[in-house]
Amino acid sequence: MALKEVHLILGGPQGAGVETTASVLTASLAELGYGVMSDREYYSNIVGRHSYVHFTVSATSFPRSLTYPVELMGAMDAESVFTHFHEVAEGGVLVYDTGLEASRLMQVVSMEPEVRARVEARLKAYGVEPTVAGAVRAAKEGLKALPVGLDYKGVLEEARQKLGVTSVEVQRYRNSILLGAAAAVLGLDPDALREGLAVRFRGNKKVIEANMVVVELAMDSVPGAARGAARLEPSSLDVEEMLSASGNDVVGMAKIVGGVRYQAYYPITPASDESVFIEAHQSISVDGKPVGSIVVFQTEDEIAAVNSAIGAALTGVRAATATSGPGFSLMVEGLGWAGHNEVPLLITLYQRGGPSTGQPTRGEQGDLLFSLFASHGEFPRIVITSGDIEEVFYDTIKALNWAERFQVPVIHLLDKYMANVIASMRVPDPSAVKVERGKLVLKASGPAKRFDLSEAISPRPAIGSGAITWYTGDEHDEWGHISEDPINRVRMYDKRMRKLEIMDQEIPPEERAVYYGNGDVDFLLVGWGFVKGVALDALEELRAQGYHGAYLHLKVFSPFPSRYVSAILSKFSPSRVIDVEHNYLGQAAMAVRMYTGYEISRFVLKYTGRPIYRMELVDAVKRILEGKSTREVLTYGE
Amino acid sequence: MASEAAYRTNVWVDWCPACGNFGILAAMQKALAELKIPPEKVVDISGIGCSGKTSHFLNVNGVHNLHGRSIPYAEGIKLANPDLTVIVNGGDGDLLGIGMAHFVALGRRNLDIKVIIHDNQVYGLTKGQASPTLRVGQKVKSMPLPNMQDWVNPITVALASGYTFVARAYALWVDDLKEILKMAIRHRGAAVIDVLQPCPTWNNIYTPDFYKQKLYRLDSDKGWDPFVKSPDPKEAAEKLSRAFERAQEWGERIPIGIFYVNPYVESFADNVSKVNTFYESMPPAKNVIAREDGTPVIDLQAMRSMFRDYIIEVSRNNRRQAQSQ
Repeated sequence: MALKEVHLILGGPQGAGVETTASVLTASLAELGYGVMSDREYYSNIVGRHSYVHFTVSATSFPRSLTYPVELMGAMDAESVFTHFHEVAEGGVLVYDTGLEASRLMQVVSMEPEVRARVEARLKAYGVEPTVAGAVRAAKEGLKALPVGLDYKGVLEEARQKLGVTSVEVQRYRNSILLGAAAAVLGLDPDALREGLAVRFRGNKKVIEANMVVVELAMDSVPGAARGAARLEPSSLDVEEMLSASGNDVVGMAKIVGGVRYQAYYPITPASDESVFIEAHQSISVDGKPVGSIVVFQTEDEIAAVNSAIGAALTGVRAATATSGPGFSLMVEGLGWAGHNEVPLLITLYQRGGPSTGQPTRGEQGDLLFSLFASHGEFPRIVITSGDIEEVFYDTIKALNWAERFQVPVIHLLDKYMANVIASMRVPDPSAVKVERGKLVLKASGPAKRFDLSEAISPRPAIGSGAITWYTGDEHDEWGHISEDPINRVRMYDKRMRKLEIMDQEIPPEERAVYYGNGDVDFLLVGWGFVKGVALDALEELRAQGYHGAYLHLKVFSPFPSRYVSAILSKFSPSRVIDVEHNYLGQAAMAVRMYTGYEISRFVLKYTGRPIYRMELVDAVKRILEGKSTREVLTYGE
Repeated sequence: MASEAAYRTNVWVDWCPACGNFGILAAMQKALAELKIPPEKVVDISGIGCSGKTSHFLNVNGVHNLHGRSIPYAEGIKLANPDLTVIVNGGDGDLLGIGMAHFVALGRRNLDIKVIIHDNQVYGLTKGQASPTLRVGQKVKSMPLPNMQDWVNPITVALASGYTFVARAYALWVDDLKEILKMAIRHRGAAVIDVLQPCPTWNNIYTPDFYKQKLYRLDSDKGWDPFVKSPDPKEAAEKLSRAFERAQEWGERIPIGIFYVNPYVESFADNVSKVNTFYESMPPAKNVIAREDGTPVIDLQAMRSMFRDYIIEVSRNNRRQAQSQ
């Protein structure tokens, strides 16, 4: 029977190309019209530690969440088998290398001791040997999965002979064994893989054909019973083309389309890929005609990054930076200067596990309150978050517009999950957005009152416009000169802070919080950012089980849509409002309480660094609804 | 010709009487007037401390920013709009203490920014603590104990960082300073002028009397030639070595003047232009980002072309199959 949705994992050592294989598979599936979403889990390591890509593939929609068990697990190495054998569904396929059957758990030196202990206990519980063969037997007998052992060495040797290359060279195509095996299990036409390889390798025929030799050999080695074991039904998604990219890429695209012409950054995981993307597209032409250039400036630290971006913004250029928690910590003083001097600035903040270095390559939503309050003193700011890569695209442009309209710094709060997720979406349409530059003045002359008190939001002549303007981090008068006068202080303070009210009036609440719920619902999930997809999918699953709930997606935390959110919350019984977040404190719930006075008392939280999976959220919500618990802490996933 | 007065604001200059900053301010105004650079094309960037107020006394664009961060502000402004003349006025603590990373980074980038170090060996506005240019063992009157840390030599740090114009001047010799400033502004690349300035309030060691006795002009030596005159790396290396040697001199005699100038090093903007085809003709500040109807200049078609590696066409066969179901 063909499936509407398939879940799979491809695992292997970091640096061995699993990511490339995943991107080829994603492109191949997109070419066939399937919606794909994949999460990349990896250590802070260049070579050798375990990494895997976890997919949801759908024939009917763009997937929004990940879940277990998987219908296909493809392992490049022993560690992948040990780490994931227990996650294969009944009837699902475990592809592994028969050459590794004798490998013992103790021999996997790259495995962290805690993981090894957990795997050892698991194997023991299944009553099998701590070897790859044992794990495979556990999958087969304990889980009723279908192990598919392939002789990786044999496949490569055959390929080597066909290609006439050395045994070292042929190793480059090793990952295509997984690709071929996955294609066979998913029932994909090899031509689709050729297309996927062509996308990934930009039409390099030699590389494509060499990989195809391995793909086809691997497909042929998959036994009949496993072929099409996780066959997808033909796609019914009505799309002619798809954008398939990571969250980092999509932010980069949106910044370019939205007019960012200056991006400063200091390398940090998981933010730098965005800046690298922009750098690769820094010369812009439309219809073959040059229309502009972007400066991507790699600075000596994040302090320089944020402050040079502020400098660029003063010249009337849309300027931005991208960072993660540790870098944002360094940017905080600059953020205050921008707030005080009413500088439009976009900071894209990809949260990762904190505090300190935390978990550099793992996700978390621990910086919400920090974003709201970072920097000393009071000043208005916007903190906007996005729930999926489509939102990411449009929110980035919105953030740029708001920054200029309201002359405030904007923090676009994303996270590692969003940064590294590779997903497909409809190609966004730039004609659906407008570039709003507010009171920017590009032609002027002579000294100007940059902080003219006649309006909360003053005309903003760019440096270089012909005007002469002054800025200072001290309290200033209308000219931007230092002033310690008490009356001026109050007037200038009020001018800045009044923008909070203006933003609250001018930004529609429905853009700041989105309610997803139809008809009769009797419980509410409250979440933000990456939680959106899994919350919506969990609700669908819960509905099928007789639980009818809604989701309140919080998007803008400053200015917070207090009345709008209060009205929604008040419709539910307090014991049936559940906060879902990737942190310990329930920071969004704290923000809700601060802004509305409403105290959320039920929580589903996860701070392992791994995403919330659909099945664990469904279970946790049920336990809370059934009154068995008020606080669920999720831990699934390796 | 624009007069110096055109470069003055009506903000009262609130430095202590006899502060060396007056000399720097006057030299700035004279240099800009003589070079006839329109005030609206100049940006003065200053950090925290007494020197930070310079921006408010100059009738040019002023960006008085955070402690130590003037150089990043200057870099953002200059990279976004290369037409502007960008000058940093910062204290020794600002540029060589809290902001040292940026000071070094600007040198290696050789971006066309002029850095004036207000070098008075003390933190004035916080009441006279030792700055990074005060020697170990020295104790100015506000310090309870002698300095326990040694100095950084602004000239050798600048030379080692890659600045292509390195000079020292004395704040009270305004005309000398003005001439050096003019040369620095005309120089295409990163320039540093270490300006020795008495702090009459806190620094009772480096006084005008002290300087009068010790200072000598480098160009009083007829054989002194700090200007690299060919792209030959050998010449640059020789002149750089001599500059390093001369920069060690600090004691009975203290040299002022130009230590090193090399116009043959590519600036950061040159390097940007090499990889960013449209940067020179269309730097960020000259970009139009929206069409008349407000939509982005990058439309769907342009986006498809720019990001083609990320856009996948769904195969026709498959679409047909889906439709027939």
